[in-house]
Amino acid sequence: MSTLLEKHIVELLKESNDKAISLLYEHYGDTLYGVAFKVVRNEELAQDVVQESFIKIWNKSHTYDASKAKLFTWLFRITRNTAIDKLRSIGNKSDREIQMDVSDVYNLGVEGIQPELMDMRKQLDKIEPKYQIVLEALFFEGMTQQEASEELDIPLGTVKSRLKIGLRELKKIYGAASFVLFYLSQGL
Amino acid sequence: MKEKIHNFLESDLLEKYLIGETTLEERHRVERYIAMYPEIREAYRELEDNLETFARLYARKAPEGLKNRITLSIRNQQAGRKRFIRYAIAASIAMLFFATSSVFFWNQNQHLQQENAMVTDQIRVLEADMKEQLEDVRNQFIVLNNPGTRKYMVNGNKKAQELKAIAYVNPIKKLSYINVRNLPQLPEDQCYQMWAEVNGSMVNLGILKDIQDKDKLMALPYGEKAVGYITIEPKGGNIAPSVQNIVANIKY
Repeated sequence: MSTLLEKHIVELLKESNDKAISLLYEHYGDTLYGVAFKVVRNEELAQDVVQESFIKIWNKSHTYDASKAKLFTWLFRITRNTAIDKLRSIGNKSDREIQMDVSDVYNLGVEGIQPELMDMRKQLDKIEPKYQIVLEALFFEGMTQQEASEELDIPLGTVKSRLKIGLRELKKIYGAASFVLFYLSQGL
Repeated sequence: MKEKIHNFLESDLLEKYLIGETTLEERHRVERYIAMYPEIREAYRELEDNLETFARLYARKAPEGLKNRITLSIRNQQAGRKRFIRYAIAASIAMLFFATSSVFFWNQNQHLQQENAMVTDQIRVLEADMKEQLEDVRNQFIVLNNPGTRKYMVNGNKKAQELKAIAYVNPIKKLSYINVRNLPQLPEDQCYQMWAEVNGSMVNLGILKDIQDKDKLMALPYGEKAVGYITIEPKGGNIAPSVQNIVANIKY
């Protein structure tokens, strides 16, 4: 189900109105930057990724089909793929570096973090690292549960149950996130 | 069917599809399942929400200036595209202009070439004509001017008493000419035709049209003991002379 804000942005995109980019950046910029950073692990590269992703989003806006995906899902796919391509293009990165590392969750700098981001960070801290790893494997790595079980050396049954709990924890955060989104859309 | 849905949900395909990791074939399969089964549709929606919530947990404050960089590059791209479109339109118009003018000039060239070939042909024909006429005039001069030339007066027989002609024959130069001075009027469906019997064979010398130029000399094929005839023939001429219609003969 798309929000009013999403619909508005999509309409602007279809009209090739560059206000869409501004709105997209306002509402998804930090999240997409976070996604890019999660993959490339480098601020400069992450900025390049976000810039390239926005250009792709702008150029491919006619291909977006709201019946097939939420706007965020589409933005996420583009950003994640651009980040992976960026890593491949610089070439000298090993697979190991692309892998997620749980310690990274705690390596975030505090400076420049917006209050709402701080809030999100606190929310993330509510999810235990062992669930975060499984969720990351699922959402960022694109691993199957079987692959996650092998990669993380955890029995498949454990992966499944951790995922379940992780998703349940995540659902608890929904309320807060929805509120933030609602708040942002009201600010339009 | 429940098992099918369960197996599908267990396969992780939906999760892979969510983040865009599926192959084209898998993608089509997932989209088909989402469209067909409400449970899968529901699971997918839930995953989409989960993804957004989870990704937002990793949000990082993007550095100042990134937004400007992005909007600037998109504006530049747009301006470039507009410029490109303008250039493309201008180039298309120029191409169209050149193509049209090329076709025009090519046609013109073809036309001129044809005209040129025609004019050359005409000149060649004229040249040949002139040469022939000049040769004729030269021969006429030789015949008329040569002391060895004999002059024969030709008169029509009773069928054409008014027919008057003068034949000039030069046995040395082997040239003979006839000057038809007067031809009696004939009915519309008849004409005079001239023949020459040279070395035993009959040569058709053509129809004598109304004599416009009384001084015109007409060449006769030369032959020893040749005989020229003028006959009356049906309009348009005949392939062989009608002996009974001979109006004059010229022995030369």
